[in-house]
Amino acid sequence: MTDEPGTSNSSQPSSTQFECNICLDTAKDAVISYCGHLFCWPCLHQWLETRPNRQECPVCKAGIGKDKVVPLYGRGSSNNVDPREKLPPRPQAQRPAAENRNMGWNGLNLGDGFQMSFGIGAFPFGFFGSMFNVNDGRPRTPPPDTPQYQDEQVISKVFLFVAIFMMFWLFVS
Amino acid sequence: MAFSQKRIQKEILTMTTSPPPGTRLVTETMQTTKEFLVEVHGAQGTLFAGEQFKLLFKFGDRYPFESPQVMFVGDHIPEHPHVYSNGHICLSILTDDWSPALSVESVCLSILSMLSSCTEKKRPPDNAFYIRTCSSNPKDTRWWYHDDKV
Ligand SMILES: [Zn+2]
Ligand SMILES: [Zn+2]
Repeated sequence: MTDEPGTSNSSQPSSTQFECNICLDTAKDAVISYCGHLFCWPCLHQWLETRPNRQECPVCKAGIGKDKVVPLYGRGSSNNVDPREKLPPRPQAQRPAAENRNMGWNGLNLGDGFQMSFGIGAFPFGFFGSMFNVNDGRPRTPPPDTPQYQDEQVISKVFLFVAIFMMFWLFVS
Repeated sequence: MAFSQKRIQKEILTMTTSPPPGTRLVTETMQTTKEFLVEVHGAQGTLFAGEQFKLLFKFGDRYPFESPQVMFVGDHIPEHPHVYSNGHICLSILTDDWSPALSVESVCLSILSMLSSCTEKKRPPDNAFYIRTCSSNPKDTRWWYHDDKV
Protein backbone atom coordinates (compact mmCIF):
# COMPACT_ATOMS: atom_id res chain seq x y z
CA MET A 1 0.00 0.00 0.00
CA THR A 2 3.03 2.21 0.23
CA ASP A 3 3.81 1.98 -3.46
CA GLU A 4 5.98 4.76 -4.68
CA PRO A 5 4.20 7.01 -7.11
CA GLY A 6 4.83 6.17 -10.72
CA THR A 7 5.46 2.47 -10.17
CA SER A 8 1.85 1.41 -9.99
CA ASN A 9 1.10 1.67 -13.69
CA SER A 10 3.97 -0.50 -14.87
CA SER A 11 4.20 -4.29 -14.85
CA GLN A 12 1.23 -5.21 -12.75
CA PRO A 13 1.07 -8.98 -12.48
CA SER A 14 -2.37 -9.07 -14.06
CA SER A 15 -1.14 -7.51 -17.30
CA THR A 16 1.60 -10.04 -18.00
CA GLN A 17 -0.90 -12.45 -19.54
CA PHE A 18 -1.31 -9.97 -22.40
CA GLU A 19 2.39 -9.71 -23.00
CA CYS A 20 3.88 -10.75 -26.29
CA ASN A 21 5.90 -13.94 -25.87
CA ILE A 22 8.79 -12.44 -27.85
CA CYS A 23 9.31 -8.83 -26.77
CA LEU A 24 7.73 -9.39 -23.32
CA ASP A 25 5.86 -6.11 -23.73
CA THR A 26 2.09 -5.65 -24.00
CA ALA A 27 1.28 -7.11 -27.41
CA LYS A 28 0.86 -4.51 -30.17
CA ASP A 29 -0.87 -5.43 -33.43
CA ALA A 30 -1.64 -8.59 -31.55
CA VAL A 31 -2.19 -11.96 -33.14
CA ILE A 32 -2.94 -15.25 -31.45
CA SER A 33 -1.84 -18.62 -32.76
CA TYR A 34 -4.20 -21.58 -33.07
CA CYS A 35 -2.31 -23.03 -30.12
CA GLY A 36 -3.36 -19.98 -28.10
CA HIS A 37 -0.10 -18.06 -27.80
CA LEU A 38 -0.06 -14.30 -28.04
CA PHE A 39 2.44 -12.24 -30.04
CA CYS A 40 2.84 -8.84 -31.63
CA TRP A 41 2.53 -9.52 -35.32
CA PRO A 42 5.82 -7.68 -36.06
CA CYS A 43 7.63 -9.84 -33.49
CA LEU A 44 6.18 -13.10 -34.80
CA HIS A 45 6.78 -12.05 -38.38
CA GLN A 46 10.43 -11.46 -37.73
CA TRP A 47 10.78 -14.86 -36.10
CA LEU A 48 9.07 -16.55 -39.05
CA GLU A 49 11.51 -14.80 -41.37
CA THR A 50 14.43 -15.86 -39.24
CA ARG A 51 13.60 -19.53 -39.71
CA PRO A 52 11.57 -19.77 -42.91
CA ASN A 53 11.78 -23.53 -43.14
CA ARG A 54 10.87 -24.25 -39.56
CA GLN A 55 7.63 -22.43 -38.81
CA GLU A 56 6.98 -23.30 -35.20
CA CYS A 57 5.27 -21.52 -32.36
CA PRO A 58 8.07 -20.08 -30.20
CA VAL A 59 6.26 -21.23 -27.07
CA CYS A 60 4.97 -24.72 -27.80
CA LYS A 61 6.46 -25.61 -31.22
CA ALA A 62 3.07 -26.22 -32.80
CA GLY A 63 2.83 -25.33 -36.48
CA ILE A 64 2.38 -21.61 -37.05
CA GLY A 65 2.36 -19.20 -39.98
CA LYS A 66 0.70 -16.12 -41.41
CA ASP A 67 -2.43 -18.14 -42.16
CA LYS A 68 -2.39 -19.89 -38.78
CA VAL A 69 -2.83 -16.86 -36.54
CA VAL A 70 -5.92 -14.80 -35.69
CA PRO A 71 -5.67 -11.03 -35.27
CA LEU A 72 -7.04 -9.71 -31.99
CA TYR A 73 -9.08 -6.51 -31.96
CA GLY A 74 -9.42 -4.91 -28.56
CA ARG A 75 -11.30 -1.72 -27.92
CA GLY A 76 -9.28 1.13 -29.35
CA SER A 77 -7.15 -1.02 -31.59
CA SER A 78 -6.33 0.65 -34.85
CA ASN A 79 -9.59 0.62 -36.88
CA ASN A 80 -9.72 -3.15 -37.11
CA VAL A 81 -7.05 -3.21 -39.78
CA ASP A 82 -5.69 -6.72 -39.96
CA PRO A 83 -2.17 -6.37 -38.53
CA ARG A 84 -0.95 -8.94 -41.03
CA GLU A 85 -1.90 -6.62 -43.89
CA LYS A 86 0.21 -3.80 -42.59
CA LEU A 87 3.78 -3.84 -43.55
CA PRO A 88 5.30 -5.18 -40.37
CA PRO A 89 7.19 -2.31 -38.76
CA ARG A 90 10.20 -4.42 -38.10
CA PRO A 91 12.37 -3.63 -35.15
CA GLN A 92 15.53 -4.19 -37.15
CA ALA A 93 16.85 -4.37 -40.67
CA GLN A 94 15.43 -7.13 -42.76
CA ARG A 95 17.02 -10.40 -43.70
CA PRO A 96 20.40 -10.06 -42.06
CA ALA A 97 22.94 -12.76 -42.72
CA ALA A 98 21.33 -15.68 -41.04
CA GLU A 99 23.32 -17.74 -38.63
CA ASN A 100 22.14 -21.00 -40.06
CA ARG A 101 24.29 -23.57 -38.40
CA ASN A 102 22.16 -26.59 -38.91
CA MET A 103 21.69 -26.56 -42.64
CA GLY A 104 23.65 -27.89 -45.54
CA TRP A 105 25.18 -24.49 -46.02
CA ASN A 106 27.64 -25.26 -43.34
CA GLY A 107 29.27 -27.57 -45.79
CA LEU A 108 30.60 -24.55 -47.65
CA ASN A 109 33.08 -23.77 -44.97
CA LEU A 110 36.18 -23.25 -47.08
CA GLY A 111 38.45 -23.81 -44.15
CA ASP A 112 37.36 -27.39 -44.12
CA GLY A 113 40.10 -29.63 -45.43
CA PHE A 114 37.85 -32.39 -46.65
CA GLN A 115 35.83 -30.29 -49.06
CA MET A 116 38.88 -28.50 -50.41
CA SER A 117 40.72 -31.65 -51.34
CA PHE A 118 37.55 -33.07 -52.85
CA GLY A 119 37.10 -30.03 -55.05
CA ILE A 120 40.61 -29.95 -56.35
CA GLY A 121 40.68 -33.66 -57.00
CA ALA A 122 37.48 -33.79 -58.99
CA PHE A 123 37.36 -30.71 -61.19
CA PRO A 124 39.68 -29.19 -63.78
CA PHE A 125 39.98 -25.88 -62.09
CA GLY A 126 42.02 -23.99 -64.65
CA PHE A 127 39.56 -24.55 -67.44
CA PHE A 128 36.48 -23.57 -65.49
CA GLY A 129 38.36 -20.73 -63.94
CA SER A 130 39.09 -19.11 -67.28
CA MET A 131 35.53 -19.64 -68.50
CA PHE A 132 34.33 -17.95 -65.39
CA ASN A 133 36.47 -14.92 -66.05
CA VAL A 134 35.27 -14.55 -69.63
CA ASN A 135 31.63 -14.55 -68.63
CA ASP A 136 32.21 -12.30 -65.73
CA GLY A 137 31.22 -8.78 -66.74
CA ARG A 138 33.24 -6.96 -64.17
CA PRO A 139 33.98 -3.48 -65.53
CA ARG A 140 37.64 -3.01 -64.83
CA THR A 141 39.85 -6.03 -64.89
CA PRO A 142 43.23 -5.16 -63.52
CA PRO A 143 46.17 -6.00 -65.79
CA PRO A 144 47.71 -9.44 -65.35
CA ASP A 145 50.77 -9.91 -63.17
CA THR A 146 49.58 -7.37 -60.62
CA PRO A 147 48.77 -8.63 -57.17
CA GLN A 148 45.21 -7.42 -57.56
CA TYR A 149 44.74 -9.48 -60.68
CA GLN A 150 46.04 -12.53 -58.92
CA ASP A 151 43.76 -11.84 -56.00
CA GLU A 152 40.78 -11.70 -58.27
CA GLN A 153 41.83 -14.93 -59.87
CA VAL A 154 41.89 -16.54 -56.48
CA ILE A 155 38.55 -15.03 -55.53
CA SER A 156 36.86 -16.16 -58.69
CA LYS A 157 38.22 -19.64 -58.19
CA VAL A 158 36.79 -19.63 -54.72
CA PHE A 159 33.40 -18.56 -56.06
CA LEU A 160 33.62 -21.16 -58.75
CA PHE A 161 34.43 -23.78 -56.22
CA VAL A 162 31.42 -22.77 -54.18
CA ALA A 163 29.21 -22.98 -57.26
CA ILE A 164 30.53 -26.41 -58.21
CA PHE A 165 30.14 -27.66 -54.71
CA MET A 166 26.54 -26.45 -54.63
CA MET A 167 25.79 -28.20 -57.90
CA PHE A 168 27.31 -31.37 -56.60
CA TRP A 169 25.43 -31.01 -53.38
CA LEU A 170 22.16 -30.57 -55.24
CA PHE A 171 22.85 -33.71 -57.24
CA VAL A 172 23.64 -35.96 -54.34
CA SER A 173 20.98 -34.68 -51.97
CA MET B 1 16.37 1.84 -27.56
CA ALA B 2 17.13 -1.15 -29.68
CA PHE B 3 14.69 -4.01 -29.58
CA SER B 4 17.22 -6.42 -28.08
CA GLN B 5 18.26 -3.99 -25.36
CA LYS B 6 14.69 -3.35 -24.34
CA ARG B 7 14.06 -7.02 -23.89
CA ILE B 8 17.33 -7.67 -22.06
CA GLN B 9 16.49 -4.90 -19.60
CA LYS B 10 13.17 -6.56 -18.85
CA GLU B 11 14.96 -9.83 -18.25
CA ILE B 12 17.53 -8.19 -16.00
CA LEU B 13 14.65 -6.79 -13.99
CA THR B 14 13.09 -10.24 -13.65
CA MET B 15 16.43 -11.81 -12.72
CA THR B 16 16.95 -9.14 -10.06
CA THR B 17 13.49 -9.11 -8.53
CA SER B 18 12.45 -12.76 -8.85
CA PRO B 19 15.33 -14.96 -9.98
CA PRO B 20 14.68 -18.68 -10.40
CA PRO B 21 15.68 -20.60 -7.24
CA GLY B 22 19.39 -21.41 -7.19
CA THR B 23 20.44 -18.53 -9.45
CA ARG B 24 21.65 -15.01 -8.87
CA LEU B 25 22.40 -12.29 -11.39
CA VAL B 26 25.85 -10.87 -10.65
CA THR B 27 25.15 -7.16 -10.70
CA GLU B 28 28.32 -6.02 -8.92
CA THR B 29 30.61 -6.53 -11.90
CA MET B 30 28.04 -5.84 -14.60
CA GLN B 31 29.47 -3.39 -17.13
CA THR B 32 27.01 -3.54 -19.99
CA THR B 33 23.68 -5.15 -20.66
CA LYS B 34 25.23 -7.01 -23.58
CA GLU B 35 26.85 -9.52 -21.28
CA PHE B 36 26.57 -10.55 -17.68
CA LEU B 37 27.23 -13.36 -15.25
CA VAL B 38 24.69 -15.52 -13.44
CA GLU B 39 25.69 -17.54 -10.40
CA VAL B 40 24.25 -21.04 -10.37
CA HIS B 41 24.06 -23.13 -7.22
CA GLY B 42 23.85 -26.90 -7.48
CA ALA B 43 20.53 -28.08 -6.04
CA GLN B 44 20.39 -29.90 -2.72
CA GLY B 45 20.21 -33.67 -2.99
CA THR B 46 22.02 -33.74 -6.37
CA LEU B 47 25.62 -34.49 -7.30
CA PHE B 48 26.34 -30.76 -7.47
CA ALA B 49 24.86 -29.82 -4.09
CA GLY B 50 26.96 -27.15 -2.40
CA GLU B 51 28.85 -26.28 -5.58
CA GLN B 52 28.64 -22.89 -7.20
CA PHE B 53 29.25 -22.05 -10.85
CA LYS B 54 29.26 -18.97 -13.03
CA LEU B 55 27.41 -18.75 -16.32
CA LEU B 56 28.34 -16.09 -18.85
CA PHE B 57 25.55 -14.74 -21.05
CA LYS B 58 26.40 -12.68 -24.15
CA PHE B 59 23.74 -11.12 -26.33
CA GLY B 60 23.97 -10.10 -29.96
CA ASP B 61 21.94 -7.35 -31.61
CA ARG B 62 19.53 -9.92 -33.01
CA TYR B 63 18.52 -11.27 -29.62
CA PRO B 64 15.92 -12.73 -28.97
CA PHE B 65 15.62 -13.94 -32.56
CA GLU B 66 19.07 -15.38 -32.17
CA SER B 67 20.16 -17.30 -29.08
CA PRO B 68 22.51 -15.75 -26.54
CA GLN B 69 25.98 -17.19 -26.15
CA VAL B 70 25.96 -19.11 -22.87
CA MET B 71 28.87 -20.89 -21.23
CA PHE B 72 30.36 -21.67 -17.85
CA VAL B 73 33.31 -19.49 -16.89
CA GLY B 74 35.73 -19.26 -13.99
CA ASP B 75 37.86 -21.96 -12.44
CA HIS B 76 35.02 -24.19 -11.35
CA ILE B 77 33.34 -25.79 -14.35
CA PRO B 78 30.77 -28.50 -13.51
CA GLU B 79 31.97 -31.99 -14.29
CA HIS B 80 29.03 -33.12 -16.38
CA PRO B 81 28.72 -35.31 -19.52
CA HIS B 82 27.38 -32.32 -21.49
CA VAL B 83 29.77 -29.68 -20.19
CA TYR B 84 33.25 -29.40 -21.70
CA SER B 85 36.13 -28.43 -19.47
CA ASN B 86 36.37 -25.05 -21.26
CA GLY B 87 32.83 -24.24 -20.13
CA HIS B 88 31.01 -24.96 -23.39
CA ILE B 89 27.62 -26.60 -22.90
CA CYS B 90 26.04 -29.07 -25.27
CA LEU B 91 22.40 -28.06 -24.92
CA SER B 92 20.16 -27.88 -27.96
CA ILE B 93 18.10 -24.87 -26.83
CA LEU B 94 21.28 -22.80 -27.03
CA THR B 95 21.50 -23.31 -30.79
CA ASP B 96 19.15 -25.39 -32.95
CA ASP B 97 16.18 -25.43 -30.63
CA TRP B 98 16.41 -21.81 -29.54
CA SER B 99 13.13 -19.91 -29.54
CA PRO B 100 12.55 -16.21 -28.85
CA ALA B 101 10.07 -17.23 -26.14
CA LEU B 102 13.02 -18.59 -24.15
CA SER B 103 14.82 -16.25 -21.78
CA VAL B 104 17.73 -15.95 -19.40
CA GLU B 105 15.44 -17.38 -16.77
CA SER B 106 14.42 -20.42 -18.83
CA VAL B 107 18.00 -21.06 -19.95
CA CYS B 108 19.12 -21.00 -16.30
CA LEU B 109 16.33 -23.41 -15.37
CA SER B 110 17.30 -25.79 -18.20
CA ILE B 111 20.92 -25.76 -17.13
CA LEU B 112 19.97 -26.31 -13.49
CA SER B 113 17.81 -29.27 -14.42
CA MET B 114 20.59 -30.60 -16.65
CA LEU B 115 22.93 -30.49 -13.64
CA SER B 116 20.34 -31.95 -11.27
CA SER B 117 19.58 -34.93 -13.47
CA CYS B 118 23.25 -35.88 -13.69
CA THR B 119 23.97 -39.38 -12.41
CA GLU B 120 27.73 -39.53 -12.87
CA LYS B 121 30.30 -36.78 -12.74
CA LYS B 122 32.33 -37.07 -15.90
CA ARG B 123 33.35 -35.02 -18.94
CA PRO B 124 31.97 -35.60 -22.44
CA PRO B 125 33.86 -38.45 -24.14
CA ASP B 126 35.33 -36.10 -26.78
CA ASN B 127 36.39 -33.45 -24.30
CA ALA B 128 40.14 -33.55 -24.97
CA PHE B 129 39.66 -33.28 -28.73
CA TYR B 130 36.91 -30.69 -28.56
CA ILE B 131 38.66 -28.16 -26.34
CA ARG B 132 41.71 -28.23 -28.62
CA THR B 133 39.75 -27.66 -31.84
CA CYS B 134 36.69 -25.59 -30.93
CA SER B 135 36.13 -21.88 -31.50
CA SER B 136 35.96 -19.66 -28.44
CA ASN B 137 32.30 -19.05 -29.21
CA PRO B 138 30.28 -22.19 -28.44
CA LYS B 139 27.68 -21.07 -30.98
CA ASP B 140 30.23 -21.72 -33.73
CA THR B 141 30.21 -25.38 -32.88
CA ARG B 142 27.97 -27.63 -34.88
CA TRP B 143 26.72 -29.64 -31.98
CA TRP B 144 25.77 -33.19 -32.31
CA TYR B 145 23.34 -33.55 -29.48
CA HIS B 146 24.12 -36.52 -27.33
CA ASP B 147 20.52 -37.09 -26.33
CA ASP B 148 17.30 -35.17 -26.10
CA LYS B 149 16.52 -35.35 -22.47
CA VAL B 150 18.86 -33.23 -20.45
ZN1 LIG C 1 6.15 -8.38 -29.28
ZN1 LIG D 1 1.98 -22.27 -29.24
